Amino acid sequence: MKYLNAPALKRWGSLVALYAIVTVMTGPPGNQSSPTLGFTSSFSESVSFFGLFPAPRGVFFAALFVIIGGGLALYRRTALKSVLSGARTAVAPRYAALTQRKATRGVFYAIVLLVAIVLPHVVTDPFWQSAMVSQIAIYVLLAIGLNVVVGFAGLLDLGFVAFYAIGAYTTAWVTGALPAAAPFHHAINPFWAIPIAIVFVMIAGVVLGLPTLRLRGDYLAIVTLGFGEIVTIFLNNLYGVTGGSTGSNQIPHFSIHLGPLKYLWGLDPVPYYYLTLGFVVVFLVIFSALEHSRVGRSWVAIREDEIAAESVGINPLKYKVIAFAIGAASAGFAGVITGGQSLFINPATFTLSFSINILVLVIFGGMGSIIGVVVGSLIIQTVSMYLIHTPPAGFQNSDLYIYLGALLIAMMIFRPAGIWPSKRRRREIQYVATGEELDQINGTSDVNGETV
Amino acid sequence: MTSPLFEVQNVTLRFGGVVSLNNVSMHQNRGEILAVIGPNGAGKTSLFNSLTGVYAPQEGSITFNGEHGALSIIGKKPYRVNAAGVARTFQASRMFSAMTAFENVKIGAESHKGLGVVGAMLRGPSTRRHERETDERAWSLLRFVGLEQQANTLSASLNYGARRRLEIARGLATSPSVLLLDEPAAGTNPAEKNELTTLIRRVRDEMGVSILLIEHDMKLVMSLAERLYVLNFGSVIAEGAPDEIRSNPAVIEAYLGSSDAGTAQGGL
Repeated sequence: MKYLNAPALKRWGSLVALYAIVTVMTGPPGNQSSPTLGFTSSFSESVSFFGLFPAPRGVFFAALFVIIGGGLALYRRTALKSVLSGARTAVAPRYAALTQRKATRGVFYAIVLLVAIVLPHVVTDPFWQSAMVSQIAIYVLLAIGLNVVVGFAGLLDLGFVAFYAIGAYTTAWVTGALPAAAPFHHAINPFWAIPIAIVFVMIAGVVLGLPTLRLRGDYLAIVTLGFGEIVTIFLNNLYGVTGGSTGSNQIPHFSIHLGPLKYLWGLDPVPYYYLTLGFVVVFLVIFSALEHSRVGRSWVAIREDEIAAESVGINPLKYKVIAFAIGAASAGFAGVITGGQSLFINPATFTLSFSINILVLVIFGGMGSIIGVVVGSLIIQTVSMYLIHTPPAGFQNSDLYIYLGALLIAMMIFRPAGIWPSKRRRREIQYVATGEELDQINGTSDVNGETV
Repeated sequence: MTSPLFEVQNVTLRFGGVVSLNNVSMHQNRGEILAVIGPNGAGKTSLFNSLTGVYAPQEGSITFNGEHGALSIIGKKPYRVNAAGVARTFQASRMFSAMTAFENVKIGAESHKGLGVVGAMLRGPSTRRHERETDERAWSLLRFVGLEQQANTLSASLNYGARRRLEIARGLATSPSVLLLDEPAAGTNPAEKNELTTLIRRVRDEMGVSILLIEHDMKLVMSLAERLYVLNFGSVIAEGAPDEIRSNPAVIEAYLGSSDAGTAQGGL
């Protein structure tokens, strides 16, 4: 009975309970004459199992999760794993091995980039082309930004949408699409909104951060939650400035007019895809450099032990505010792209559930792991879009969050560090879970003294 | 440069009605190995926390005359005090557990180099040069404390003695004028205690860093310290060289009257 010890039973038991709850919640309703119908038919109702055979709906979604999770697990067990989770933390590396690994990793990233570039020419379905910009690329951008705040600095920010909203509304403002008078005489194209929006959003990050980042943990989460709500309420109520609940007028498209170089982004989502992709790559490079820099290490130190970090001369408030401002910058940028691409914004987009959605991407991918967050956002957003675009029988759009919630709970049970965790985060979670037993997990220790 | 390194004058620290430090005055000379002893709850760690900016005493003054001039410590944040040249270790060692030993020391070595967020983002040549310098510094400190073999070990899986040494290296990495050690020998075995004694002396002799030490282990204190202060119930009850302290009736009284009597008598 090796595999049926108590913790394993508990884990699998909770999974079965989760399955039942989700099935009932997403199942058909009962009616007055047979009140238990909703319950029974939730389990008996059949859908097509990927066109192969009829199966209960719950089984279909469970299989979807298993395929995603299993696929990733398999992938991570192959050679690429050692390449990608590579030895950046190694200190006295054998240089030949490290250089080779670096080269392999470079080739891998080049292939991924190439696939991303070719993708819109392969996927020509208009729904997917548009989703690739507004639902996938922008979400990746937002998720890697939130990852700086939540993953690197360890600050739970539930009001991330506020920065996104400020970015989008700044774009509307400077391009003259808001009732409020534009700051410039003639309409400017959203390109110039990028630096302005980023500066605005970073200022907002600092203004929010300076007083609130003295708070820790739950308190900070509550304050940021409030900030997100305040911004949305302002957007709704300041009719004369923001257009209230009806939102902005038409925001002009992006355009370039630099000497001989002229280009106008239009209704076609593909150019926007490339624009966003370009900036995603830039942000990825910057954030990755930051992670492995002094700033990144200081974040880790603060996250692990703020008192010790202060004792070696790190100013926690300063680094937290920096994390906030940098995370906000990428959200602000995503806001500009959204404004330019969707041409029209209103407060209904910028809700609490949006913040939580981004947080789910970060947690699912693996807090603190840039590649994990990118992979996580790609998976969740693609699957969500797939379910919305071609809903399997019995799927309703409003059920999506129930499935995502269930997915997150399952993740917390089986892979608490995320689908592609950073090495360091995994160690931290292991350390918290096992304390002194880390020696055995790690296998590198030299315990001969007493442990107190 | 005859002014003392630390000058504590009439410091009183209260937590509500509890007086943790009562009108404490003391000083530390440059290059001195100074120890503060006293029974449990005498206020030793409170004194340390006041000296490093963690607590702000309500009365009195603490002046630190470091390389960058005099600094009044009360009201300054710990990172500010550290920048002025005060490094410390903790009673229950506080390592960055998910970092390797090397990274722990590196954090200390680089914390005072200007901020350089933009430099860090772009990873320019000057950033790389800084990185190389801090790497070298961290290595030399690891070698100094004898941990270069465990450089890549997670600090959480180091044994207690090694953690103590690592904490000393991390403190030294911030280029301090004085190193405050809060019970460095707690939980170590006799062999490790001897190593630690040698190490602390080397820190002073080879690096010129003054040492301020809290310790319960009388053997270690008496062999290491050049001067001692004895605290009891938040007040200084004696001050002097180890020999004088050993025969001071007030000190013997304080120790015999407490639960530490056994250990103290054995040591004294």
